Amino acid sequence: MSSNVGIPDRAEGQYVDLRRIGLLEAIQNEDQTWEKLAPRWCVTNPEPPWKVCLDATCDALSAGGALDSLERRHAEDELETMYSEIPNPERQLVALAHIMLSRGLMTEEELARQMEAVRARLEAV
Amino acid sequence: MANPHNHDGHDHSEDGGHDHSAAPMVDEISDFEILELAVRELAIEKGLFTAEDHRAFSEWNDARTPAAGSRLVAKAWTDPEYKARVFADPLAASKEIGVDWSEPSGFGTTSDYMHLTVLEDTPKLHHVIVCTLCSCYPRPILGHSPYWYRAPNYRRRIVRWPREVLAEFGLIIPPEVELRVEDSNAKSRFMVLPVRPEGTEGWTEEQLAEIVTRDTMIGIALPKPGRTTDGPRPIHKASRPVHSGGRPREAAL
Repeated sequence: MSSNVGIPDRAEGQYVDLRRIGLLEAIQNEDQTWEKLAPRWCVTNPEPPWKVCLDATCDALSAGGALDSLERRHAEDELETMYSEIPNPERQLVALAHIMLSRGLMTEEELARQMEAVRARLEAV
Repeated sequence: MANPHNHDGHDHSEDGGHDHSAAPMVDEISDFEILELAVRELAIEKGLFTAEDHRAFSEWNDARTPAAGSRLVAKAWTDPEYKARVFADPLAASKEIGVDWSEPSGFGTTSDYMHLTVLEDTPKLHHVIVCTLCSCYPRPILGHSPYWYRAPNYRRRIVRWPREVLAEFGLIIPPEVELRVEDSNAKSRFMVLPVRPEGTEGWTEEQLAEIVTRDTMIGIALPKPGRTTDGPRPIHKASRPVHSGGRPREAAL
């Protein structure tokens, strides 16, 4: 993982807790980003299919009052260097998860468990 | 890695008799795909929103088109007072033609701040928009950006060689016309208000809106009477066609 050389890690941003989150650090795999994945399969869509779902999640969170869109964008800005190794929209997704964890909308354990459940479902044959 | 797609055949007995190959798709589950689903499902489970809310927002996002921008330009061309409002308060002017930038969340879309600047072309000044950093685009009013707008090819080169890149789109800007490239960013969105072309005198707003296509509001094309998005494709016969029945003699040797 990248350490921001010369820039000490801050623990508290104005909009989000800037401490690193193990679960999210582990999935910053550049090789799995759409930029790498799409050409590998000769797919030309510029965005991954899940991008529309991510946008709708952000919109629904804001509309329901759980996470205001403007605050989320400010928090994303604060997290930009932490997740600079992956491009958008992957960075936007990981940042959203980070913000939701930091605000207590879900816990790291819950997210890890849900990811395993989703993986098992998608990989089921 | 297995060959992910198959271009070689058009008669796949295993695909139900369709006579075309399926478009290639990514047949690999990424951690990001899993994370997106997990985050969404947890949010639903915790009651932050419902699956029905989520579906409604997805559909709303997908339904944006450049038609709203076309209406804005056509109205500005025919109504000088409206045109003044377009520059003074673009968000209010958007609302007058049916686009509320605060939708769907009350604070705008997921990625678009509620900030729009309309760039006015004149016979001596032409604007073109880009987002050099990523793909910021005035989606509430122009819908989804075209693929080339998001491509590094366009983003990098339009800034350094704007006249050359516009020429690649078939738009030649004469040297005496000043060219400005406006770079969008996370907080600012731009659209171009092109010059009303000659030959449209007395046209209604609806007629005018038809020739204000997406590309004219990005600045890589100029509106022209008769050129609409869904009109017939212009076909020009090759001026020097090759009347060859096969390979040139030398190549066959």
